[in-house]
Amino acid sequence: MHRTNRVRLLPIFVGFFRLGVVSFGGGTAGWLYREIVERRRWINDAEFLSGAALGRLMPGSGGVNLTVQVGQILHGGSGAFAAVLGLLSGPLAIILALTAGYTRIGQSLTLHAVLDGVAAAAIGLTFATGLKLVRFGRASAGPLAVTAATVLSVGVLRWPMITVVLCLAPVSIGLALLDRRGGRA
Amino acid sequence: MPEDFRTLLTLTLVFAPLSLLSIGGGASLLAEIEHQSVGVHAWTTEREFANLFAISRAAPGPGTMLSTLIGWKVAGLAGALTATIALYLPSSLLVYAAARLWGHWRGSVWHSAIERGLGPIAAGLILAGGIAVLRVLPGGPVVWLSAAAATAVILWRPLIHPLVLFFAGGALFGLAEALGLW
Repeated sequence: MHRTNRVRLLPIFVGFFRLGVVSFGGGTAGWLYREIVERRRWINDAEFLSGAALGRLMPGSGGVNLTVQVGQILHGGSGAFAAVLGLLSGPLAIILALTAGYTRIGQSLTLHAVLDGVAAAAIGLTFATGLKLVRFGRASAGPLAVTAATVLSVGVLRWPMITVVLCLAPVSIGLALLDRRGGRA
Repeated sequence: MPEDFRTLLTLTLVFAPLSLLSIGGGASLLAEIEHQSVGVHAWTTEREFANLFAISRAAPGPGTMLSTLIGWKVAGLAGALTATIALYLPSSLLVYAAARLWGHWRGSVWHSAIERGLGPIAAGLILAGGIAVLRVLPGGPVVWLSAAAATAVILWRPLIHPLVLFFAGGALFGLAEALGLW
């Protein structure tokens, strides 16, 4: 049951603390991919994607859920705890500090515009991450069709995510079983 | 003080169940949090709630920090910590249990097939998530174009730090608002 711990607790805490304080606009998955998969290579694309999928399907914030799973892979239960603590403590401190300027912040139109601009850029990071990960299916027709169907039904038509995933998952897993050529990402 | 303890307990009883109901991300909880804090418990007025929501958007981090702010308003630092833990702990424990169970199967044919099968769906969900945020942002085509431009820059110039783009986006929109361009 005990596997070797890939990363020590302090680097996990520090890595996720950095993630927490930069992930404006809700793009936690995009930042996590950039920092933890691309830069530090602590987990691979397959682990990231299955964590992202499960994280969104289960209750709670997708970003926190993904963090729990990555922490678990890196250092078991204490790894998950260190990762979530790191992720949340920065934003918690920042938001309490912001509360000091409570009334001014709530009413400043310029600030609202600035936040919208940041959010637009954050969406760019999200899209770029999703597009990079499409190549995970080695751009063959089956996985591409599954991705397109997910985007269309959940993103455009706004069908309930759980139902869509329950319908598409068996198809996609079947395709993966048939295509046993590549084992790893 | 028993009174303080009661308040913290109430915060826990409101936010902990929401933790397990928040399927599809924190945004789905907004209406219920509003109902509880304005209507049921009178923790905030409608106006204060709107302000807290605006502040919660200004902070970085995953999902909503709104519960943190409401806890802070009701019972200071202890309230902020209680509300945050109540909202994130139950769902995190559930995911942790699922992740451990999942880890046990690592290496089997099915594990690898499921992991590879979920990949294209997860990529689609990430893209759909971007579209969902795009939909709720005010600003219309300008926001769509800016998001598309940011996407293109990140894909073509991966070495540019996203924070540079975040800063540029914020500065452009803030400037446009200050100059009365929209």
